Amino acid sequence: MRVTRLRWLVLAVCFVLLTFGGRMGVHLGAYLPTFACYFTGFDSYGGACFLAPLQFALAAGSVDGLLKALLYVVIAILLIIPLGSAWCGWVCPFAFVQDVLDLIRRKLGLGYLRFPEGLREGLRPAKWVFLFIMLLLPLWAAFPILVPSVARHLNIPFCELCPVRYIMPMLTGRASYMGVDLENATTIILSGLGVFFAILTLVLSLFKRRFWCAYCPMVLVLSFFRRISLPKLKKDVQKCTRCEICYNVCPMDVEQVFKEREKENVTFPDCVLCLACIEHCPEDDALRATWAGKTFFRSTRKGFSRRRKIGVDRHKNKDN
Amino acid sequence: MGKRKQRLLRALGRSAEGVLRGLEEAADRPKQLDYFIEVMRAAYVDDCLAERLELSEPRPKVVGIYCVMAPEELVYAAGAIPLRLCGGSHEASCAGDELAPRDACPVVKSALGSTALGAPSLYELCDVVVVPTTCDAKRKMGEELAQHTEVWVLDVPHVKESEGARRQWLEELHGFKRDLERLTGNRIKRRALKEAIAMLGRAQHQARRLYQLRQAPVPVVRGSEAALALHAFAFDRADSWTEAMTRLNDELEERTRHQQPSQGAQRPRLMLAGAPSIFPNWKLPNLIEEMGGALVTDESCVGDRYLYDPVGAVENTMEDMMVALGSRYLMPCTCPSFAPNDDRLFRLRQAVEDFQLDGVLYLVLKGCVIYDFELQRVEKLMRELGLPVLRIETDYNPEDVEQLRTRVEAFIEMIQENTQLEVGA
Repeated sequence: MRVTRLRWLVLAVCFVLLTFGGRMGVHLGAYLPTFACYFTGFDSYGGACFLAPLQFALAAGSVDGLLKALLYVVIAILLIIPLGSAWCGWVCPFAFVQDVLDLIRRKLGLGYLRFPEGLREGLRPAKWVFLFIMLLLPLWAAFPILVPSVARHLNIPFCELCPVRYIMPMLTGRASYMGVDLENATTIILSGLGVFFAILTLVLSLFKRRFWCAYCPMVLVLSFFRRISLPKLKKDVQKCTRCEICYNVCPMDVEQVFKEREKENVTFPDCVLCLACIEHCPEDDALRATWAGKTFFRSTRKGFSRRRKIGVDRHKNKDN
Repeated sequence: MGKRKQRLLRALGRSAEGVLRGLEEAADRPKQLDYFIEVMRAAYVDDCLAERLELSEPRPKVVGIYCVMAPEELVYAAGAIPLRLCGGSHEASCAGDELAPRDACPVVKSALGSTALGAPSLYELCDVVVVPTTCDAKRKMGEELAQHTEVWVLDVPHVKESEGARRQWLEELHGFKRDLERLTGNRIKRRALKEAIAMLGRAQHQARRLYQLRQAPVPVVRGSEAALALHAFAFDRADSWTEAMTRLNDELEERTRHQQPSQGAQRPRLMLAGAPSIFPNWKLPNLIEEMGGALVTDESCVGDRYLYDPVGAVENTMEDMMVALGSRYLMPCTCPSFAPNDDRLFRLRQAVEDFQLDGVLYLVLKGCVIYDFELQRVEKLMRELGLPVLRIETDYNPEDVEQLRTRVEAFIEMIQENTQLEVGA
């Protein structure tokens, strides 16, 4: 369980630093490609998601704003390249919240829910929809040519829908965010949906591993860079027995890793690089993780047995 | 006891004893092999498996299992004892001749014969037998067995890929679990299943250790010996077997360290592919070794494939363990009853690399259409890898041993000559 433990540790530290770091003097700014919510407050967060300031910048509608938006994107890309999707698997504070809920499920002895392929396929466009809302609606707000009365309230449309924006501020004592904004029809609809998504996410995270991540536009944004970012998941297709263990342990239900029979690079779009698949793969070198081409973690049968405490050699212990 | 049964028991015992004696005669055999020889002797020669298993009173239920798709973990978790029943006896297959069509394979005939006559008596010991629907012969065998004993048919999907098939398989396993609970009167609890998975996990770990030890450039154990040790799992309690296997592996590790070969290191390294050699049908393993080959691996479901794959449960919730069992007993299985079965070719390719193979003997048991079907693909693969393949079609009848001997000898000589040519050039 070494990697899992390490990941829990990193996730927990990042959760504390990013959510409450501001109170301890950590200020990384709102440039991070991960769901550390901006609305936990300037005085609280140690670092925040770049999507909120990006939308603000786009909604400003000025050349200055657009340049600022570009700057946010460039910084995000520079941050994405060294860590890739590990931002989701190892850093994201909301991933930590979901993993805690998942741990509660396990402790209760409940099984996990796995959506059927058809449903997963049907819901796949959701994150694209979120991405377009995030990039296009602020521009509409900036240049309200049509229906300006609606457009005016679309400065940060994705944040208004994002469940994280309702859940995380509660943890920093800003419970007032959890509620429907009754100011006008647009805000009622947006925040109504947001609250609905938030409740749905909290409840379903108890049954479905990493429920929100399947629809998170940040996972999508990170996946755009999966070819050029440095960490990668690789597979030796010949060594793989297609035993399906990697699929069963995958919190993101990525099926392609075990099914792949040709490509070496199996960093698929939904992969969050949690490395659970490598940890539980029973075949030597069938799966490995590389950083800039260098392998830093590989699957072994010995490791598989050691983690389950079934590889202990009684006779050898006697001798020693 | 009927006369026919007595006759079958005697004949069976004689041929089984012949195989076991052969193994015992090898002075260089690993000392720890004797345990496994005794297990097989109890099952087939002395016919005293019930006593050997020390079934306490009240006697636990015994579940007979065919093929390798029924999770023994569930059987153990329910407090029952699993025995693997696939038949390998010529005498029993003769007895089964009248119970199956002429073209049925000897595995099925042998199992039918043994069940009908109750010999060896371990077949009578089973309160119920589980027959997964693998090939046509096994499926129909299940129907015939039902005349003699209670049969549970386990519906194995033949296309592994599809989500529907996997879901149906999981449902099937839940049904199997419920049936076991009804049979034993014990509810399968989370902890019991977790322990059973760990217990078989230890067995699988030792089987994998043996698999890796056999990859050494200098063989430290004969193929016929390793196959027997793995096969003995069928008739032993998992924990006792694991202890014995741990000792055997320790001894083999010691041999590897001191470079003590079991047979000449120069022998061509061969794989026995295709249909399984089930005890006491030791015809081909013996021939290969007598004719100067080193049998380093097989792909038999009572041999190297039997305990190769582990169960990958992580959460130890009931649902997670059932999903993990479902995956283990379906997905990595390379039985040719699955189609498409490309997975098998990948496994073979890897075996050629892992075991540094020089050639492949391909056993087709008469009537086994599916292994014969896949021969072409295997031959094509081996051509690509530059390995010769010898197809041998036979049944359990010892009559053709001398003919086969000539062919195996020629095959091995050809490989030896080719290697010498290569070395010379």
